[in-house]
Amino acid sequence: MNLHFADYLVIFIYFVFVVAVGVIIKKKITSSNDFLNSNKSIPLWITSLAFISANLGAQEVLGMVASGAKYGIMTVHFYWVGAIFAMVFLGVFMMPFYYGSKARSVPEYLFLRFDEKTRALNALTFAAMTIFSSGISLYALAKLLEVILHWNFDLCIWIAAGIVMAYTLLGGLTSAVYNEVLQFFLIVLGLSPLVIVALQDAGGWDTIRTNLEPQLTHAWKYMGDADANPMGIHFMSLIFGLGFVMSFGYWCTDFLVVQRAMIAKNMSAAQRTPIIAAIPKMFMPLIVVLPGVIAIALTKSALDSGDYRIPTDAAGGYDYTMTLPSLIAHYYPSGLLGVGITALIASFMSGMAGNVTAFNAVFTYDIYQAYFFKNKSDKHYLNVGKLVTLFGILFSIGTAYIAASFNNINDFLQLVFSFVNGPLFATFLLGMFWKRTTGHGAFWGLVAGTLAAAITHGLTIAEGKGGWISPMYPISSGMGQAFIVASFSWIANFFTTIAVSLVTKPKPDEELRGLVYSLTEKVYGTEKRWYLKPAPLGIILLIITILLNIIFF
Amino acid sequence: SEKLNQLSFIIGVFFILVALVLLIGYATTTTLKHGINLYTGLAMMVFGLVMVKLKA
Repeated sequence: MNLHFADYLVIFIYFVFVVAVGVIIKKKITSSNDFLNSNKSIPLWITSLAFISANLGAQEVLGMVASGAKYGIMTVHFYWVGAIFAMVFLGVFMMPFYYGSKARSVPEYLFLRFDEKTRALNALTFAAMTIFSSGISLYALAKLLEVILHWNFDLCIWIAAGIVMAYTLLGGLTSAVYNEVLQFFLIVLGLSPLVIVALQDAGGWDTIRTNLEPQLTHAWKYMGDADANPMGIHFMSLIFGLGFVMSFGYWCTDFLVVQRAMIAKNMSAAQRTPIIAAIPKMFMPLIVVLPGVIAIALTKSALDSGDYRIPTDAAGGYDYTMTLPSLIAHYYPSGLLGVGITALIASFMSGMAGNVTAFNAVFTYDIYQAYFFKNKSDKHYLNVGKLVTLFGILFSIGTAYIAASFNNINDFLQLVFSFVNGPLFATFLLGMFWKRTTGHGAFWGLVAGTLAAAITHGLTIAEGKGGWISPMYPISSGMGQAFIVASFSWIANFFTTIAVSLVTKPKPDEELRGLVYSLTEKVYGTEKRWYLKPAPLGIILLIITILLNIIFF
Repeated sequence: SEKLNQLSFIIGVFFILVALVLLIGYATTTTLKHGINLYTGLAMMVFGLVMVKLKA
């Protein structure tokens, strides 16, 4: 893939703009609250698009196209089962507590609701995860640019990290959020032409459905038997493992995305942020799943009209992760090629900046201020926030080089994160909706959930992974194994939290007002029009989601 | 709001500039003379102008 001057110009314009956003915002940054929390003043449409864009990182864009090619239309489950329901739940039921409690972060909510040790456990694991995720995102970007454009790996790492550092250091969270909105439009407008021309080349959707195996063009039809579908999972495992445990665990408790809703300018906007974000999320499969399905259709001999092929790896199998870059290289001429490459770079950078800004808020508020220097001036915390941003970027660079040195470290880290994240939603569910839940219950529930995840992984084996205790239970796919591990960890956390809470002393009711459903005055928003209220809006989205599932059944 | 104004203007100008690269490239060089560059450039120009207009 060779770039023309016009392609470089598009990439250069993008780099100039993202840094310029930081320069423009810098004038408004006068306090730590401005830098780390955007002074809770961001309008609804910006928070909603930032909410969706913070999740639109490299794993989403490259990974979902790869899944589309590998698993076909079943990949939409990550959206229509594994996202929309949780986003609506977050907006309708959980944002009133996150926003109403005046907590500045998710770990701080845990401190207000439970105790110091539960906050510390969540803050430390989250801070470590965001830095590793940021570093892995940086590594993946540099690796991709090295492979497809033959750019120097080290140069890619330092330029990408330098640009993210420039705009996050200058404008803090507001700068990252503004750029996430720009990145959202760039990704959508940059990849839409690809879908149109590739779909045209494949002869349209009806031709694809006629020529591909039915397992690749139906979302639910073959899920009654795990061995009958390409994902290798049963529908019950999908609904509980992905649709409930993993989905709610990510969308409702991960500060990286929840932070975007917590900086909205009022409660109504905070509640509607994830619900409005669910609208583009619902149609995102058109941009990131459909190209993968088209790619596998074009590669199959039945549609041998063009000359596109999914690249193969050293072993001769399909290299699914290269599906999107290869589609861009095949269909985009010079000019638009620059737009496509810039969209890819934007997805990596939005993932990295999102992680860094979440890291600096959690580290400054929940670690530095909570445990080391409680009563310093606001200027002190502003300077610490900036310093933490700088170190966050440097740690990310370090992690990127570690990832480059060890082949399987990415898989290992993702596995450890899933052990920690899997049980998390049970803690929040009980904490928000059962006032009897105690800090001891929450803490030991999280520990039990993480241990249960590790043990389940050690006793199951899928695609050669797991089974390190004893490979007693073979599972047909790695994805199925991930869902089962998450399910067991959630159940262990749920019941351990209840058991420990019943034998320990809960907080008095007056300390839980605004933090627990039964003790909080219900807020129905100030919106007069029914379709602007979170609950009706959420119900409409859920109905559309169910209809989409039926259409692609 | 001021923030929404500011951001829509930034995004609008960005897409107008990218559209200009595609359209000028389409008009002046053979390498970029592909229909997809023309149509995408026009679409981005319209989007950019709408975003800038929103600011006004």
